[in-house]
Amino acid sequence: MWGQILLLIAVVVFSAFAVLAKDLIKSAISLAVASLFLGLLFFQMRAPYAGVFEISVVAGLITVLFMLVIALTKTGGDVRESKLATLGFPLFFVVFAVIDLIVMKGLLAKLPALAGPAESGTFGDVLWKQRTFDLVGQLGVILAGVFAVLALFRKRDNKDE
Amino acid sequence: MIFLYIGLPLLVAALLPLIGKVSKKVLPDILANGVILVLLILAVTSGRQLIGRGPVTQQLGILGTTVGITVAIDAFSLFMLMAIALVTLCVGLFSIDYMEHYGAKANYYALLLMMVAGMNGLVLVSDLFQVYLFLEVAAIASYALVAYGLEHDELEASFKYLMLSVIASTAILISIAILFGTTGGLGFAAVAEGLRSLDAKAVTGVCAALFIMGFGLKAALVPFHAWLPDAHPSAPAPISAILSGLLIKVSGVYALARIVFNVFGLTPALSEVLMGLGAISIVVAALLALGQTDMKRMLAYSSISQVGYVVLGLGLGTPLGIAGGLFHLFNHALGKGLLFLNSGSIQMSTGTRDLDEMGGLAKRMPVTAATNLIGSLSIAGVPPLAGFWSKLLIIMGLVQAKQGALAVIAILASVLTLWYYLIIQRKAFFGKLEARWKDVKEAPFWMTVATVILALLTIGVGVFFAAVVKGWIQPASDVLAGGLPGALASWRF
Amino acid sequence: MNSAWFVFIGFAAALLFVGLYALLTMRNVIKLLIGVEVIGKSVTLVLLATGFVKNNILLAQSLVITVIVVEVSLIATALALVINIARHTKSLDVRKLAKLKG
Repeated sequence: MWGQILLLIAVVVFSAFAVLAKDLIKSAISLAVASLFLGLLFFQMRAPYAGVFEISVVAGLITVLFMLVIALTKTGGDVRESKLATLGFPLFFVVFAVIDLIVMKGLLAKLPALAGPAESGTFGDVLWKQRTFDLVGQLGVILAGVFAVLALFRKRDNKDE
Repeated sequence: MIFLYIGLPLLVAALLPLIGKVSKKVLPDILANGVILVLLILAVTSGRQLIGRGPVTQQLGILGTTVGITVAIDAFSLFMLMAIALVTLCVGLFSIDYMEHYGAKANYYALLLMMVAGMNGLVLVSDLFQVYLFLEVAAIASYALVAYGLEHDELEASFKYLMLSVIASTAILISIAILFGTTGGLGFAAVAEGLRSLDAKAVTGVCAALFIMGFGLKAALVPFHAWLPDAHPSAPAPISAILSGLLIKVSGVYALARIVFNVFGLTPALSEVLMGLGAISIVVAALLALGQTDMKRMLAYSSISQVGYVVLGLGLGTPLGIAGGLFHLFNHALGKGLLFLNSGSIQMSTGTRDLDEMGGLAKRMPVTAATNLIGSLSIAGVPPLAGFWSKLLIIMGLVQAKQGALAVIAILASVLTLWYYLIIQRKAFFGKLEARWKDVKEAPFWMTVATVILALLTIGVGVFFAAVVKGWIQPASDVLAGGLPGALASWRF
Repeated sequence: MNSAWFVFIGFAAALLFVGLYALLTMRNVIKLLIGVEVIGKSVTLVLLATGFVKNNILLAQSLVITVIVVEVSLIATALALVINIARHTKSLDVRKLAKLKG
């Protein structure tokens, strides 16, 4: 339990740093580190496939995409974030954390739950046989994303609308 | 084969970019419109037979082994499939001419078909998570389509739309997770049974609130509407038509109705919340529409208002109210699709969307003016056009349920609606022909065909409303009014 | 639902707060997308934690994987939008972007 709580704290801390950092590259790397810790947490929760996916896709692929875009959009002059937002964050966060703690303690053991169906088979069975429709959906989002990017980067031969 | 509704557009969309390299215009046009036509014919002919004896679920089998793909179709789903195919066909025909100067038509059709595949998938699944998944398929396609023109306004609108949609998706997923946690299941039937046996009012309340926030944002109900008045005007006209006519209804209203009626069951509290949101949307959006000078922006606010009518009718929960709401969903899809397509015709001929710059276009674009009048009067609720009957059903339902105040609001807002539509008609089409428009031409062939089809349907549905209601609306509303018991009985697979 | 679930949900709520804070206050459009990513982490954590405490970890994993795939597609589209925005407005400031009235 404590190992998991440490990992959770790490994820939150690095995510907060990713949001608040001034340099975009540091921001992206911090996000990757947060994803790394989240992936390790998934491993700890006996979800190795989710952990692998989280690390290789979110910490890996998405970080690369971010780096690519940061490099491609190096415009003149940085965007200065509002000082209130960056400095005020710790205060707002602490207030939120206190509310969060109180709410969670209050809800403790008040949530009714039915036992789910017992799980049988391997992960492969669940993903490929039980949730096959999800794979069709995944194909759909991937295709939609590919076409979206193609459409957004197409060559414009005429400049008029 | 029910899966064809999802599989066929998906397959053709995947092939289109390759085909587009070979033939830039003709083949993509024919293929894309052909696919939609096939789906429409399927829905209208074999679909009715299929569900003649009640809802049907089909489990797919590949090479002998059954796979975990189960599609469920009942009268409500079939009604949506028919509406989707019909409006998309007209949009596709319109796009043949309109999208010429945007470039990369094959890519455009691919995105359009992906949106259709996503919408069809949404109405055919019976699992909460898959509702979210296909909603995202259609949404991602729509982000690219809104930004298709790649100018400043389009990019800004698409970005804002994307940001707000992320919040919607988050709310929906968290609600699904909580429901999964309490009931242990994801399918409609499993969750419905689980909630009933637990009688967990708090959980149902929280999850319903999250769903209303999420799907309400996709449906652009006030106060979740902020993205629509930017997104729908900026998109190319045929995309505005399909977004206003279909996407906000399929990913917003259909999903919410399906979950509220067939999973949660419509409680009095839920009914009041939905009716309240609907009424607020009707009034606020109608008032905001009045102050607009951009034609498409006025139409966008009108969409928010009319979706309010649909949600008001559905939220009422009585057979009359539900039937009225669904009928209005269909009529608005036809009418608003028609109006947005016309705005595209005007934009193509004159280059402007500003009502103050237009004037007297009826003399040069008579067909556009006539179809525009028909669409406007239908949505405003003028007899004997289609919109009149659907609004009448909703108002009758309100009166019958002793909701007199809401009925009065609905009627007054209708008057407002008529007013601002007549403003459009007057400023754009009637009056003196401005000198600079004296050489504009009527819209090209396919664009005219598309708008004429929609106009004829609006008249036809209005004249033959009894047949339409009995044949399509009644079975769909029975599925919803049947609520939980009906759904549980039919989803045993 | 045992108390472990609430610990996870508590942290997921904190992540959600961080992500929403980014969406509400940040001016750099890339920071906004980082906020979107953080929200995505929060949601996958909620899903997996729910599966974990219900002994349904395999089902939860397949859901999380699907959500991650959706997230990738979404971020790719959003980043494509951002590149176009940067080309147009020559800046990454969301205030320079916001011209429409909404």
